[in-house]
Amino acid sequence: MTGYLFHTPEDRREMLAAIGAASIGEILDAQIPADVRFQRQLDLPKGLDEIGLERLMRDLAAENVSAASHLCFLGGGAYDHFIPAVVDEIASRGEYYTSYTPYQAEASQGNLQVMFEYETLITQLTGLGVSNASLYDGGSAMVEAVLMALAADSSRRRVVTTRTVHPHYRQTLDTYLCNLDAEAIVVEPAADGSAGPIIDQIDSQTACVVIQHPNFFGRLEDVRAICDAAHRVGALAIQVFDPISLGLLKRPGDLGADIAIAEGQCLGSPLQMGGPYLGILACREELVRRLPGRLAGQTTDRRGNRCWVLTLQTREQHIRRAKATSNICSNQSLLALRATIYLSLLGPQGLRETAEHCVRKTRYLRDRIDQHDRLSCVHAGPVFKEFVVRDSRGDVEGLLGQALGQGVLAGVPLAPWYPEMEDCFLVAVTEKRSREDIDRWLESVGGDAADAAPTQGRSVAAV
Amino acid sequence: MSRQPEKLLYAPSHEWVETASEGGDVIATIGISAFAIEQLTDLVYMDLPKVGGKVSAGQEFGEVESVKAVSPLYSPVDGEIVAVHSDLPNQLDDLKEDPYDFGWILKVKLSDEAALAKLLDHAAYSKRCGESA
Amino acid sequence: MRNQQATKLIFELSRPGRRAAVLDPPDLPVPEASDCLPAEHLADGPPPLPELAEGDVVRHFVNLSTQNMSVDTHFYPLGSCTMKYNPKRNERLASLPGFAAVHPLQDEATTQGWLRVLYELQQMLGEISGLPGVSLQPAAGAHGELTALMVAAAHFRQRGEARDIVLTADSAHGTNPASAAMVGYETRTVVSGPDGLVDVDDLRAKLDDRVAVFMLTNPNTLGLFDSRIREITSMVHDRGGLIYLDGANMNAILGIVRPGDFGADLMHYNPHKTFSGPHGGGGPGAGPICVREDLARFLPRPIVRRDGDRYFWDEEGEDSIGRVRSFFGNQGILLRAFAYLRTYGGDGLRQVSEDAVLGANYLLSRVRHILDVPHGERCMHEFVATAARLKKERGLSAMDLAKRILDFGFHAPTVYFPLVVEEAVMIEPTETESKETLDAFAEALFRVTEEAVDLVKDAPHTTRISRPDDVAASRRPVIRWTP
Repeated sequence: MTGYLFHTPEDRREMLAAIGAASIGEILDAQIPADVRFQRQLDLPKGLDEIGLERLMRDLAAENVSAASHLCFLGGGAYDHFIPAVVDEIASRGEYYTSYTPYQAEASQGNLQVMFEYETLITQLTGLGVSNASLYDGGSAMVEAVLMALAADSSRRRVVTTRTVHPHYRQTLDTYLCNLDAEAIVVEPAADGSAGPIIDQIDSQTACVVIQHPNFFGRLEDVRAICDAAHRVGALAIQVFDPISLGLLKRPGDLGADIAIAEGQCLGSPLQMGGPYLGILACREELVRRLPGRLAGQTTDRRGNRCWVLTLQTREQHIRRAKATSNICSNQSLLALRATIYLSLLGPQGLRETAEHCVRKTRYLRDRIDQHDRLSCVHAGPVFKEFVVRDSRGDVEGLLGQALGQGVLAGVPLAPWYPEMEDCFLVAVTEKRSREDIDRWLESVGGDAADAAPTQGRSVAAV
Repeated sequence: MSRQPEKLLYAPSHEWVETASEGGDVIATIGISAFAIEQLTDLVYMDLPKVGGKVSAGQEFGEVESVKAVSPLYSPVDGEIVAVHSDLPNQLDDLKEDPYDFGWILKVKLSDEAALAKLLDHAAYSKRCGESA
Repeated sequence: MRNQQATKLIFELSRPGRRAAVLDPPDLPVPEASDCLPAEHLADGPPPLPELAEGDVVRHFVNLSTQNMSVDTHFYPLGSCTMKYNPKRNERLASLPGFAAVHPLQDEATTQGWLRVLYELQQMLGEISGLPGVSLQPAAGAHGELTALMVAAAHFRQRGEARDIVLTADSAHGTNPASAAMVGYETRTVVSGPDGLVDVDDLRAKLDDRVAVFMLTNPNTLGLFDSRIREITSMVHDRGGLIYLDGANMNAILGIVRPGDFGADLMHYNPHKTFSGPHGGGGPGAGPICVREDLARFLPRPIVRRDGDRYFWDEEGEDSIGRVRSFFGNQGILLRAFAYLRTYGGDGLRQVSEDAVLGANYLLSRVRHILDVPHGERCMHEFVATAARLKKERGLSAMDLAKRILDFGFHAPTVYFPLVVEEAVMIEPTETESKETLDAFAEALFRVTEEAVDLVKDAPHTTRISRPDDVAASRRPVIRWTP
């Protein structure tokens, strides 16, 4: 076992001699009381050399179905969008991924400039004045947005949201609010998707209203009406958005949102089983002092050169401690870098084309499902890249298992979060899916579910 | 008509106070001492309350920030805020140059003068600063 | 040599009509996208993003990367951050499509390899800490702290105890009080004694029935192992409180001491430090937590469990605090930690810590002749020197040293932390540096302290920029580019 260690026996002898200790044991014994020392060896599997590790990990990877081995139509907050080669190539440079927080600005101008570019891109994307340098993920970003609103006015303790916001995000919010003096009101959406039931719940005790547009089911919400209603009583409006959708849809800032948050995985980051992902948070300029997380700003150095530094740090935990805007003391720099490269490559037209692909391919699949005798689209209204399908035979598990056997990850069952939708599943269509792929989706669910035994699909996997 | 630091009263938390009678009320003008400004190094931001708010002695009414520190501002007196120097946050260099005249922060109509008795005179305050410096 | 053209802001490189990623229109019998959506939802045009060619983008970001110091390019002795070597094999393995292209909402039957990785990682983290209840969900160390405090709050709520205070050490990281506040706790600070360890008398004076948790870092931020740790944890337990261990410094004690054995009830790991997951320019990391067996029922759900040879997500748990993020955790970082642990095994991990301690003590033996080191003849994996005397005698501050050391091709140590040491210079060499590198660093540090004051005060001289104006940046914040 050498691993990544350096010292030869001779090095160790010389170093101990310089220290003036006979052994490393002596150094440890001088500090650690004997009665707390660990008396046996850790019970871990034996160490592996690189060849052995590679074999183990490749075998484990081969046990997984993936968007590379199967056609992926899964969504629900994580999406199989295309990642251009340039993103992987640059993000795998050690100068980026083996560096750290820019504590010394002179040694981190690359990272700081990327942070500044990322922040600017997010303001361009959202139409809001300020973006931080990123948070953990969509769910925690939504919670941070709510905490900003609660901190803005200590007399308002109600958070109004709806069941069409991502269930994981709402569950995360519940976990945080449980220890704070505040409550979340979760509104049952109207069948026709109108904003009425949400607006009815907004009152003078409301700190903020949280909506997702396009929502968890892919449908479009009346964001402007909801923002207006919030503002009429002095509450803040928070929109959860899909960054890709902004190639076509109006921006959160233009619709009246005060804070916009998103899961940024779709901007050039891999699915990797749910994380690490990218929490995007942008807000109106007036709220900047309440913003959680790091922020890069522009200044000049002693020679007058333009440069970048971490700024407005008095908001943060290392200075304000218990009164900080959040406890966060990192950002998802590497994923923010990926998003920055991704948006630089796409530009306005590329983002628009990507959004158009999503919309039109989704429409194509929905049109075909409309002619299907067993399946139907649950919502009639317009959707972006995701929608709910109902199986008239109520056998979602069998249907998805059958599709899997044909090499298709056909959808996400909704029953775990929406018991009343146990015969429904969520389907997402990104720009990566070709017309032939979509036709294969239809074929894969087309046969009689009873005949096909669910398999792991390893026969078609090319991992 | 410039204020003379020697004639002001001080809180141990480094705010200065000057009182004057105006139409039957006692109005306290409040600022922060040159010593405190020096300790805080380069000021970058100041958060001030609104006119009409109430303050009480020892209670926080605002904050002043340098790049890497936040310091609360404590009211040395009890009363109602009747004026706020709202331009001050945009002219922090001038505050540093002239903490006693240009640098006034609040004017408070006193509801109770008891807190004044607990403040330090210039000599006592200077002695205190000398000890902590 | 610097390419000034390519390192302009991407917005300044933009030219209308220039393109990189282009998608051909799909051949589909459906209307145009703008006819598929109601007009009131459509923007007038796409957002005003920059317009660049692919070559622009590559040259820009490659050139920017060269303005960073990193572990791959420089010695990075940033105290408390454990900037150890990031194994390349782990990067390649994490990018295998069988890991990287797996969707989190796939059926369990299709992710057995992933679930096995996570299950075995839970087992290994439990063994290393001596605390068998494990949640992989938190996204970072601070997030782990927060999650663990939520677990503690749930524990006391269930017992009907209204405890509302969290104690933190004065040498603690700022995240400790900030996390406590987010769980609704009031924070009180326990001071350090002259030996740099917890002042037991002060702890005793502040302990009462209102104290829920004492948040402790051990080895602490001075790089010292608290010799009275048993007494401290017993005192807190005797009053019904819990001990939270900030696991930031686990790199010193792997296989040597287990937190569960010295009385910790809850803790977090920083796999991006201890287990070599890369730091990513500031993140992502991960913040898995371990707790005592009887506290495990409060952990976030889901947790990976095994039933025979099948692995599955266990969502059940009436007492669970719920979920603290979307999906399951920062799996990509956890996977690298798993690969690291499988590389070393139990005996190898102990060697990692022993070498980390050896390197730190060796560097301490050299630095002690250059700067004062106020606490400890010996240290664990890091130590804190002070530039106070240098400041008094020559007017050179810890920050001046940090800036000038960059010119010698070394990243700076952590400065001005912990707060309990004046002009602190916190040095953590890690086990993945050679004796020659440590010698060269000590030599450079010595030279800096002897150099002309003006030279040091104007440093760095070899970087593109020097001494940015933080005051101007804070007074008139420019936090986005405008045309």
